[in-house]
Amino acid sequence: MIGQTLGLLTGKALETSDVLMVCVVGIIVVIVELALIAFCITGVSKAINGLTKATKKKMKAEAPASSAPAAVAAPAQAAAPVAVAVKKDPELIDVDEKSAAIIMAIVSDESGIPLERLAFKSIKKID
Amino acid sequence: MDIIEIVKGIWASSGFEALTIQQGIMLLVSFVLMFLAIKKKYEPMLLLPIAFGMMLANLPLAGLMDDPLGLMSVGEVEIVEGAHWYDTGVLRLIYAGVKSGIFPCLIFMGVGAMTDFGPLLARPVSLILGAAAQLGIYVAFAVAIALGFSPEEAAAIGIIGGADGPTAIFTASKMAPHLLAPISVAAYSYMALIPIIQPPIMKALTTKKEREIKMEQGRKVSKTEKIIFPVVVTVLCALLIPSTAPLIGMLMLGNIFRECGVVERLSDTAQNSLTNIVTILLGVTVGATANGETFLTLDTIKIIALGLMAFCFSTVGGLLLGKLLCVITKGKINPLIGSAGVSAVPMAARVSQDVGRKYNPTNFLLMHAMGPNVAGVIGSAVAAGFMMMLFGK
Repeated sequence: MIGQTLGLLTGKALETSDVLMVCVVGIIVVIVELALIAFCITGVSKAINGLTKATKKKMKAEAPASSAPAAVAAPAQAAAPVAVAVKKDPELIDVDEKSAAIIMAIVSDESGIPLERLAFKSIKKID
Repeated sequence: MDIIEIVKGIWASSGFEALTIQQGIMLLVSFVLMFLAIKKKYEPMLLLPIAFGMMLANLPLAGLMDDPLGLMSVGEVEIVEGAHWYDTGVLRLIYAGVKSGIFPCLIFMGVGAMTDFGPLLARPVSLILGAAAQLGIYVAFAVAIALGFSPEEAAAIGIIGGADGPTAIFTASKMAPHLLAPISVAAYSYMALIPIIQPPIMKALTTKKEREIKMEQGRKVSKTEKIIFPVVVTVLCALLIPSTAPLIGMLMLGNIFRECGVVERLSDTAQNSLTNIVTILLGVTVGATANGETFLTLDTIKIIALGLMAFCFSTVGGLLLGKLLCVITKGKINPLIGSAGVSAVPMAARVSQDVGRKYNPTNFLLMHAMGPNVAGVIGSAVAAGFMMMLFGK
């Protein structure tokens, strides 16, 4: 099968117009194929995000209506304080809180990572 | 027993006596490449095995690339009567992995397992930048034809512009096996020189204001999207251009190993041990194809020049589309990320980051440039598939 698709112009002499045609068609094929992939990715992403949102909405809507979820939700609620406990304040060594806050804000801004997703272990003054 | 006769006999049967000028020059070339790989760190992971293979193949009488049955040689070969397959030189036997396309495909699987397509999925427009940065392939193809290369040779040379070593080796082994050594040496040398080649073009084609543009953080990509992506890309590419299936298929196989999260051992093997083993075998045998007769020709110099031109035009293509997207999005896209579309992962993305940071110290373009960078891998594989569809054997 692959053999049938290979070598459409193999061994043939190319005129200047043929060469230009190969170049133009070639770059168009690459752009069209990658644009098609981009289009599909966007479609798939939207479909997945739509499904996820719909599922979340459904779960939210079902939660107050049912009495059973209270028991189910319990472990999740129990897990929440653990997550909060993990993200504790950084240890400050010879640094005041104001400077530490400025440093954390700069790191967040320069790295493009939101502050709530960053975890600082310690901030130490170096002489 | 005359001691002088014995010494003469030893000399006559030694490699020194059999060493030709061409082999001597090739040995020197291999030493220079080894120096560049070790001292200058120019793509050492591949340039060092290539250089050592080149040295091994040019040692007279060593027979490492002997092909007594003429199974894997290019051009006229002296067939030895009564020879068996196991009489074939050890490097020539390993070279079967290059000739059949197995090694480049396995490397692609490793590349897929190492690649995070997240930045690409977060900003799908990156794919277009990766496509535009294949411009050099076609420019080099046209110029190579004008310089007297056959269409098959020109297509193989043009793929250097994809800045993707395995793709260049794969296409050269299929379309112009006699040019495999100069094409791979040119491809890997220029990939190592990306930090020198690209910045002047980036500065020439962009304004200071454009270089200073800060890009917004991309959206968070879900695991489901990352798992579906390799399947979608493989099916689409293989249906549109079936000859892309070996490269894209293996790239995406490696990527699904990485992203699915249930085959960590396979992902680890593809990323590390397998890639390392294949890199050694591929590099040594590609280097071993560089014998004086085929390497020390005017064509090699032409290929080296065409390779540089291909890299430059690919950078130009990515940058120009980057500028266009910058205008369309009203300044939301920094055109510097377009140059990363030439592949050469992650070197080209680092160059975008470095140049952007130079003009705006608070600018972090690396993750944004990784999108076009990995898109370039797909783009060069598609371009190679297109060329093979037209000129493959």
